[in-house]
Amino acid sequence: MSRRYDSRTTIFSPEGRLYQIEYAMEAISHAGTVLGVLAKDGVVLAAEKKVTGKLLDLSGAKEGGYGGSGEKIFLLNSNVIGGVAGLTADANSLINYARSAAQQHLLQYNEDIPVELLAQRLCDMKQGYTQYGGLRPFGVSLLYAGYDQHYQFQLYHSDPSGNYSGWKATCIGANNGTAQSLLKQEYKDDIEVKAAISLVLKTMSKTMDSTTLGSEKLEFAVITLDPETKTPKAKIYKPDEIDELLKAEGLAKKEDDNAMKT
Amino acid sequence: METSFALTGKGYVIVASDTTAARSIVKMKTDEDKIKVVSPHLLMSYSGEPGDTIQFSEYVERNLRLFHIRNNYSLRPSAAASWIRRSLAQSLRSRKPYSVNLMLSGYDVTEEKPHLYWIDYLGTMTEVPFGAHGYGSYFALSLLDRYHDPEATLEEGLATLQRCIEEVAKRLVVSPGKYKVKVVDKDGAREIEL
Amino acid sequence: MSIMEYNGGSVIAMVGKDCVAIASDLRLGNQALGISSNFQKIFPVTDRIYLGLPGLATDVTTLRETFRYRVNMYTIKEEREIEPETFAHLVSSTLYERRFGPYFIEPVMAGLSRSATGGFKPFIAATDLIGCLNFAKDFVVAGTASSKLYGVAEGLWEPDLDPEQLFETISQTMLNAVDRDAYSGWGVVVHVIEKDKVTTRTLKGRMD
Repeated sequence: MSRRYDSRTTIFSPEGRLYQIEYAMEAISHAGTVLGVLAKDGVVLAAEKKVTGKLLDLSGAKEGGYGGSGEKIFLLNSNVIGGVAGLTADANSLINYARSAAQQHLLQYNEDIPVELLAQRLCDMKQGYTQYGGLRPFGVSLLYAGYDQHYQFQLYHSDPSGNYSGWKATCIGANNGTAQSLLKQEYKDDIEVKAAISLVLKTMSKTMDSTTLGSEKLEFAVITLDPETKTPKAKIYKPDEIDELLKAEGLAKKEDDNAMKT
Repeated sequence: METSFALTGKGYVIVASDTTAARSIVKMKTDEDKIKVVSPHLLMSYSGEPGDTIQFSEYVERNLRLFHIRNNYSLRPSAAASWIRRSLAQSLRSRKPYSVNLMLSGYDVTEEKPHLYWIDYLGTMTEVPFGAHGYGSYFALSLLDRYHDPEATLEEGLATLQRCIEEVAKRLVVSPGKYKVKVVDKDGAREIEL
Repeated sequence: MSIMEYNGGSVIAMVGKDCVAIASDLRLGNQALGISSNFQKIFPVTDRIYLGLPGLATDVTTLRETFRYRVNMYTIKEEREIEPETFAHLVSSTLYERRFGPYFIEPVMAGLSRSATGGFKPFIAATDLIGCLNFAKDFVVAGTASSKLYGVAEGLWEPDLDPEQLFETISQTMLNAVDRDAYSGWGVVVHVIEKDKVTTRTLKGRMD
């Protein structure tokens, strides 16, 4: 019976549910994990890359661009990093939208867009697809890690229905339940960026499907304040920087692991 | 003639504006308030074409209020100033531009600093330590060049303002009578009796 | 009175050896009355391009915001930073869009463009208020003191100045030219752009 209410995105089922939205969220829970932790002096974001392989040509990712390591972590504005889980193609269009919205705010008010306002802009659009018919909702959940002068460092999550909420630490994508309970145990209110980085990597290593962490499976970003200018500084790690970080945290691939495989 | 001054001090901005509403050579009213409190920590003094001033200042007031209602916080003075300037600059190239000159005084609660913006009807905007509009500006600005101190206390600031008012009263042929004075600091905006 | 002289202000850009410099005064006036002695007319576009906007002050701000928006959108779409030549054409077409109701600005830009071999080549350009481009090899001037700037620059500039010499040349040119112009002055700001750094210095000027 429920089939009758499946095909249209904007029609309630007799139990008062919107199936297409729920399916979209289901799709996301199979996507690569994205994890965010809010610290006192910054926000940390990590993501699991799903599309990998030796033959994948990554030379298209140019230097000196707007920022974004490729699949899941992008610079939305100079003060906000976004992490996406879900349909990559849908995500790209949302990221474009977010970037233009941020630029329009900059043009209108001569200041970087506040993080919550940016999340609201995207959610207004996402909500539209749950109500105006004929179209499919965005199959994307986002994490927004950012800074603004009103509320300092913030971490938000938004889902396909257009709901958004603020978090101290959260996770979207595959195994998000496991990750969230791990975060709940480990998170402390006065955590600093350095500890948050360790927490994020430790949680990632436990929740990801693969046994070893490496730059080919992981994306990583941190937003902090520049100590001199007091302006937000977003840093999306390059592959070799990620490997270096993993080595420092003692989570890198071990040599004998490789030996076992061959 | 319409005159307004504003000056910054240690943690505050003082704004003074004359209170006359005139039509041609006739004073119609001598207790007009030409300084609007547009958000909790933001004052806007305005002068210019009579109809335009009311219309434009209410437009600004309501838009800033709407922003506050939607987001539960006010625009920072710099953001509000940029938005207002843009409105005037767009209006300048429209069929009937607003002719309103403004001074925007605010206290940025996020960075705990006072700000003063001088804006004219063309959409020219600059942040200044002190500023003035109208015929009184020719007298007041030179006085402020000499006596303004960005670290002055509120009492000292008000004394400097008093000097400006007295000088204009003394030298300007068409000097205005009474002034309304308002201050904005960390506690918000309020009126002050000189 | 011309609208170009309403607020006053001047900008100059010069080419050196593997470097460029751009300088402006800091005055904002209402005809003869001075309003501000800290009105910036030069803005960074990228790490290697600076843009000077002398002319009507309302349009200085408007165009600064417009160019920032358009360059940011370019960077997002292209996934790379804009090159000076490309930016010059962006400036030109933005101004020509308003051919019959122009912005009253005569932009001057200075930057280093990336050459095919991976090195950097000095680039300067200026346009009139409707976007007619002028690529120069030595220096470009604009603003209320432009005629005086031409004179002094003609006398002081020589080819292949190193960054320090170029700084001295452009500073002296600017300071001496604006002293002969009632609508420019009240301090000078100079940016010297090299391949790996930009040096910004603010100079004191006569306050009369």
